[in-house]
Amino acid sequence: MAKVVVDAMAMQRALTRITYEIIERNKGIDDLIILGIKTRGIYLAQRIASRLKQLENATVPVGELDVSKYRDDIEHDSQENDPKVTVAKIDFPITDKKVILVDDVLYTGRTIRAAMSAIMDLGRPQQINLAVLVDRGHRELPIRADFVGKNIPSSQSERIKVSVSEIDGQDSVEIIDR
Amino acid sequence: MTQRFLILEDGSSYPGEGFGAGATTTGELVFNTSMLGYQEIVTNQIYHNQIIVFSQPTIGSIGITHDSYESILPTAKGMVVRDVSDISKNRQRSLSLDQFLKQHNIPGISGIDTRHLIRQIQKNGTMKGSIVDVDDDHAFDQLHATVLTNQQVAQVATPVPYPNPNSGYNVVVVDFGLKHGILRQLSRRKCNVTVLPWNTDAQSIISLDPDGVILSTGPGSPLDLPESVLEMIRTIQERIPLFAIGLGHELFALANGAEVTALPVAHHGASHPIRKIITNEIIYALEGQEFVVDGESVDRDRLITTYRDLIDSSIQGLRHRDYPAFSVQFFPDGAPGPNDSVDLFDEFIEIMGTREELHG
Amino acid sequence: MDNEIQKILIIGGGPTEIGHETELDAATLQMIQAFQKLGIRTLLIDNNPFSVALERVQPTNMFIQTVTTENVQRIIEKEHPDAILPTVGGVLAISVVQELQESGVLSDNGVRLLGIPSESMVDVNNPDRINDVLRQIGAPVISSETVGTLDEAVSVATKIGYPVIVKPVAPKLDTNRILCDNENDLINAVTQGFAWSRFSQCLIEQSIVGYKEIEMVAIRDFTGTQVLISSLENIDPIGIHSGDSMVVVPTQTLSNTEYQQLRDMTFAINNKFNFTGVSHIHFALDAQKETFYVTKVTPYNDRGTALAAVATGYPIATVAANLYLNLKLTEIRLPEIYHFRQTAMMEPTVDHVVVRIPIWPFEDVPNADQHLSTVMRSVGSTIGIGRSAEEAILKALRSSQFSPKDELPSMSNLSDSQIISRLIHPLASHILVLLEALRRGYQVDELNELTKVDPFYFYKLRHILDIEDEIKANPMGAKALKDGRYYGFGDGMIARLWRTDIDNVRQLGRDHDVVPTYKGIEPTAAEFLTEATGYYSTFEFENESNRLSDHSALILGRGGNQLGPNASADYFTTSMLRQLRKSGYKTIIMNTNPNAASLVATLTDKQYVDPIQLGDVLNVIEIERPEIIFVPGNRHYLTRELRRRHLHIAVLPPDQEKRSELVNNYAQIGLDLFITKDHIVPIVISDLRSDQGMATTFDQITVMKTPASIDDTQLDKILQHATDYLMNDPRTGLVQMLYTIDHRQPVFAGVRPSRLTTIAFLNKVTGINWVRMLIRQALGEIDEDLISNLPLDIHSDRVAIMRGTFPFKQLQLPSQLGLTTQEVGGRIAFGSNTKTIVDDEADETE
Repeated sequence: MAKVVVDAMAMQRALTRITYEIIERNKGIDDLIILGIKTRGIYLAQRIASRLKQLENATVPVGELDVSKYRDDIEHDSQENDPKVTVAKIDFPITDKKVILVDDVLYTGRTIRAAMSAIMDLGRPQQINLAVLVDRGHRELPIRADFVGKNIPSSQSERIKVSVSEIDGQDSVEIIDR
Repeated sequence: MTQRFLILEDGSSYPGEGFGAGATTTGELVFNTSMLGYQEIVTNQIYHNQIIVFSQPTIGSIGITHDSYESILPTAKGMVVRDVSDISKNRQRSLSLDQFLKQHNIPGISGIDTRHLIRQIQKNGTMKGSIVDVDDDHAFDQLHATVLTNQQVAQVATPVPYPNPNSGYNVVVVDFGLKHGILRQLSRRKCNVTVLPWNTDAQSIISLDPDGVILSTGPGSPLDLPESVLEMIRTIQERIPLFAIGLGHELFALANGAEVTALPVAHHGASHPIRKIITNEIIYALEGQEFVVDGESVDRDRLITTYRDLIDSSIQGLRHRDYPAFSVQFFPDGAPGPNDSVDLFDEFIEIMGTREELHG
Repeated sequence: MDNEIQKILIIGGGPTEIGHETELDAATLQMIQAFQKLGIRTLLIDNNPFSVALERVQPTNMFIQTVTTENVQRIIEKEHPDAILPTVGGVLAISVVQELQESGVLSDNGVRLLGIPSESMVDVNNPDRINDVLRQIGAPVISSETVGTLDEAVSVATKIGYPVIVKPVAPKLDTNRILCDNENDLINAVTQGFAWSRFSQCLIEQSIVGYKEIEMVAIRDFTGTQVLISSLENIDPIGIHSGDSMVVVPTQTLSNTEYQQLRDMTFAINNKFNFTGVSHIHFALDAQKETFYVTKVTPYNDRGTALAAVATGYPIATVAANLYLNLKLTEIRLPEIYHFRQTAMMEPTVDHVVVRIPIWPFEDVPNADQHLSTVMRSVGSTIGIGRSAEEAILKALRSSQFSPKDELPSMSNLSDSQIISRLIHPLASHILVLLEALRRGYQVDELNELTKVDPFYFYKLRHILDIEDEIKANPMGAKALKDGRYYGFGDGMIARLWRTDIDNVRQLGRDHDVVPTYKGIEPTAAEFLTEATGYYSTFEFENESNRLSDHSALILGRGGNQLGPNASADYFTTSMLRQLRKSGYKTIIMNTNPNAASLVATLTDKQYVDPIQLGDVLNVIEIERPEIIFVPGNRHYLTRELRRRHLHIAVLPPDQEKRSELVNNYAQIGLDLFITKDHIVPIVISDLRSDQGMATTFDQITVMKTPASIDDTQLDKILQHATDYLMNDPRTGLVQMLYTIDHRQPVFAGVRPSRLTTIAFLNKVTGINWVRMLIRQALGEIDEDLISNLPLDIHSDRVAIMRGTFPFKQLQLPSQLGLTTQEVGGRIAFGSNTKTIVDDEADETE
């Protein structure tokens, strides 16, 4: 059974709100870069960047991080092994930049930790902030999102499915009973 | 039906037929191009001191319905229409428009070339007018002599606090002459609302510990309100999520250093496309404004422009750079008008939710 | 903009019929103009000889063929268009494109669908599938089931409970719904429905008869930005087909809450199906329970979108054409004549009321069932525009009644029981019965109960009667005149109530300054001070219309379509308009048919939407002082009255009824000629036949075929006879000489003006527009050069056939011999020999 908990409108609003919060928290968008975690995190990162562009008329660079080990259609942030992150596409310097790391679902925190290590290998950012569309709880590491679209308390037997129109034909977040 | 006259400051006189109250009335002539919702329009307190000219030629055709009040005690000064029907909708056995206006002592005049009047107002700007029994010199003298109050907010806003209980977020609505649509939307989202008088100070609001504050719509010029209101806004926006609408939006802009100027002709209607800048979407909403935030004056280090009218380029929405505080010039609750932007209330709820996560 | 699209195939609407008239052709015309402006090559398939759109494409892009799947496939495979447009050809075009999609022809040839995405195309006109999708977005739909057999139908209907509605799934023509009160009705309806359905399936659904029917017309661009163009309110409740219902624009009896719900739902539906361009959604409202249902989703041009465009002054079809090419609403620049805005992005708001009243064919087809029901029977409609509901209703009514002297028929001879019966089971011109019932003292609530018409309209009708009483009681009273005119009474009506002459009424008006004021038809409700090109009259303070030019021509349209000349009359009118412009005139049209191509704003310099009645025409003449006035030949009284006032008039389209001299009862051969003072020019010689073979009376001649089946000797004899005869005859213009063949000898059977339908045939066969020749003749522009250079060949062996089409099927009559007075449209076919034509035509017979 799948239940839609965030519809297209609500997802738009969440990204809109996160965008404004990013501006609020960073006092503007100077030195900002956005890194999306593959696959859906990248689309969310691009949407946030396009919103910032609309508002501030300035381009914020968007880079991509790839969680190589896992398939696309299952949640990569599982408890099993620490995921391995490879840099897919970041063709700009990150030292002294303010990094916004974007993912669709925050779960154990392992993906985020791996992503942060990968970033640190590339350079020395001024700060790293985390934006997620869904925070579903069950953290195993001391990681906390700075910008959250929606908190969805969930049981571990449930799956959270995020769809984005770019590849899934619709925008939604569903809870699926396994 | 009795013959009455609509007389204008420029010396013109238009014969028509009286309906509603038989009183003589004077007010500023404004026109509204909405095709529906005469009841919502005439009960909206933004029309305090004003005589409303309706472009929709057939008025009164569904009578008065219980869910279309935007205030209980309307204070518009009159209705000018082409054609009025004295109908009470049989399904609700309620009042006709004529009966309703009589109860509230609001005169109406029908049989007027409203399209002509609207074209005149467009050409010559806003004018005062009176609905009178005789269009003699005396009537014109009276019209010219009438000075309309600039204390509209104080006249229509609640003088005492009142609650609108529910089980959700605690929301304070600062009442500058609010339209009920705002309360309806908050109620639908289960907000536990406290409505406070317009001149409540920041400390009194903070002491109620609200999750969010709304600055309501209202009549008149934001420039006629005291500086203390702007101070209240500046204090609140730093601490509590803030959503300001209509007059509230104009005050929010003033509080943050922008300037507000009077439009040459007031704009009331829902036919203008409005761009939501962040997503580039285009929406329609009821606009009702005599004032506009001067785009040049907006300090881009403090405020972000969030909505813009595509027809006249006017600023229709602002957001503070540093705080979760935002405003819209138009009326997102519709009533009457499109619901395209009604989810601004959801956005407000979600902002309150985020704050709760962070602080609570 | 989508630059990959360089060549578009448009599927035309085919012959006009009940269900669609000239509105499809008018929309096609606007699409073509818009596409051409964007530099796109536009192909058109249509076999409607009265198509105005066909004349706007180059001969190489014109496919005069029956709209069938096979023909369209052939064109696709030969021409390889980049895209196909299915939204201006009505239900038929949709079903053809569905078949082409199913069979893979579109994908195999890389042809893109415009307007309706392929995923949604399969749902269109399939109520069951539509309802499934609607349920996904939480849209309220009526409980229903699809059936494929009679047994299933009976059991489903029993389960749902009678009355039920039967709708064919994916119909081949615009059938809509059939109401069934019992099993007998059901079996008939389902049997019929299976035949109409492409899948031999019907949908059976719960009856919502008596609910209020509301329609919403919107446009949407590919990014999802939408504009609600207009709401339409059916005055008659569900149970009467919306094409047979009186319709008012905008809605008069909805609350803001109700309206916004429907607006939101319209947008949600368009988003779900991802339609671009225009879309038209029907709703049923249960006023008691304050609930609504979505009843029909039509993402294409139809009479509703045509009405919305005329009522608001917003050029829907032009904008839609741009939207199909993936231009955004904010990017679309409107043609300059639309002064109100620079881009298409604005939601129309109007400050007038428009009422549309249908026109039924029962005078010409007396054996048809005349009850109004869920099956459409009207063949045309007229609109009235005013600043009150009364004014709009009366104007529409005055135009729909075709009374030469502008008087309304009386229903006073109906008995009380007839009145009751007609209130419950409405017949044509229902509104006259409603008026009569009020006159006899029926109360509003009572009438609302019987008819389910909203009380608002009865208040308005009663007000009309009050005004009528006031006029009656005050002969030559200035106040009564003012009130009467203010609420839409025509000068002819007032003159009759006062038993006086119309001139006296008009003089009284002048004496007391009760004069018409014209208001612009534009979509901003005067918010922007711009000049409109379309106007209607009312009697208020400010007049916005001034004389257009000192070199103008006023063209009086034919008004609402009727059987007989029907679509050909409007085709004629548009041809006139083109020639007049070419001859340097500023053109002014007066018309009341919302579906007419002649009302398309780009075709004229100014439009008046007012009854084409003497008083209203004189009012326009007084403002415009045109150099010349063109009056349709069927308007004898009007012609006489205008002549009497020494106005410069020309009678075009020509008078069809008078000026015939017939010496026999029938004819087999017709020779059409163009005659000027100095020339007799034979154009085309044809066989004249009836729909079922030999015509035994003139009014059976509804088929023309050229070349005629005669030999050269006979032809020479006919030509010689015609020349000799016409030499001594005063008539000029287009005439048809009629002959029979007796023992291989041509025998003269008479002479008559060429019929309007015939003129369209002549145009298509010769490639010369003879309407324009007539205009040039009226303007004195015909000279020796012009005549001698006409590329005519009376001996041509190119085969062409034109046949009248008849509404018998839609009127649920058995096939019968059609008469000229019963023609609803026509179709034309060309070929190198008769056989190819017969083959082509065979494709469309079912």
